[in-house]
Amino acid sequence: MSHDYKAVQSTPFKKRFDLWLLIGIALYLVGFIAVSFSTQPAGESLHPVQVVIRATGTLAFLLLTFILCIGPLARFTDRFKPFLYNRRHLGVTTFLIALMHAALTIMWYHGFSETNPLVSVFISNPRYDSLSGFPFESLGFVALIILFLMAATSHDFWNANLGPGLWKTLHMGVYFAYAALVLHVALGAIQFNKDPIYVGLLAASAVTVIGLHLISGIAGLRSSHRDGLDGWLKVAAVADMEDARAKIIRPAKGEAIAVFRDGEKISAVSNVCRHQGGPLGEGKIVDGCITCPWHGFQYRMQDGQSPPPFTEKIATYATRIVDGVVYVNPEPNAPGTPQTPSQIGASA
Amino acid sequence: MKRAHKRAHLLIWIVLAPVIAGLFALSIVMRPGAPVNETLPDVLIEEAR
Repeated sequence: MSHDYKAVQSTPFKKRFDLWLLIGIALYLVGFIAVSFSTQPAGESLHPVQVVIRATGTLAFLLLTFILCIGPLARFTDRFKPFLYNRRHLGVTTFLIALMHAALTIMWYHGFSETNPLVSVFISNPRYDSLSGFPFESLGFVALIILFLMAATSHDFWNANLGPGLWKTLHMGVYFAYAALVLHVALGAIQFNKDPIYVGLLAASAVTVIGLHLISGIAGLRSSHRDGLDGWLKVAAVADMEDARAKIIRPAKGEAIAVFRDGEKISAVSNVCRHQGGPLGEGKIVDGCITCPWHGFQYRMQDGQSPPPFTEKIATYATRIVDGVVYVNPEPNAPGTPQTPSQIGASA
Repeated sequence: MKRAHKRAHLLIWIVLAPVIAGLFALSIVMRPGAPVNETLPDVLIEEAR
């Protein structure tokens, strides 16, 4: 949060997550290499460097596919929230594996040329006017540059100095990196390797990533302007509000509102976290504070302020309960304004 | 996420989806076939197969 910066923010849970991630990566690489050599057709001789290039390339692509699915899937099920919370570590790891793939490829296929290897990536195959013969390595290189920019700015220092808006815009570049990588594989590996498993995996990845983002994008924009009462918006029956969780209301105008239940109290705040714009209403109440599902930023329910020594503030909203139904006033209070919670059981 | 970012996010995917799908489909359709050396006698090619 805003108090200070640490090189790597870590918790016991994040450490366990990173350990399992490293174990998974090691198992994948060892498994890929073992299967590649054991299924090698007679008469063909695969060099270990070529196998490692394929192993790191497929792993980086599968990890990026998974990372891009986490956001939309976390909207549909809570099971993906832990991955959302650790997405930064996954992203930086993916960049490092992609870097290994690129470094080995450049050294193996361009390192012995008289031309500078980095220049050779772009000019050794000049068929930019052909689809099946396109210099696909250049697409991978472009994607690597985008992934580098994202990994290098993934720290809170950059988020604070660029501002959440610009930071978020910069990190939307991952979608273009993914598009470049799909084409890098489609115009590269798939042109030479007729094994249907590669086509199948690439198609499954593209359909899943594109489908999930379109569905969640359309659902996220839909206004949930409901029946009102004197201009107040209906949220839900008290009985339907889960303890320590929120209902998200999307008014016709303005930002979404997160209406939380904490025991017998109902409070409403802006759904947008001050850190990176995370959806607070998809988080929960931890230690009496609303906790963002993205990176754990916290706000007090009663005034939308982060607990000291932190200084972030979000807008609060008035709520009321009429005949067992919760309503919220869509007009926001200034960020950090105290707002008395509605008490369940008290008369309206 | 702010509503403006959500719109930008959706717009990016609306543009990228047909580009990715179209070029991916074309790359499959236009895959080169197995190379054939036409100077070799047919008998040799059959034997190799």
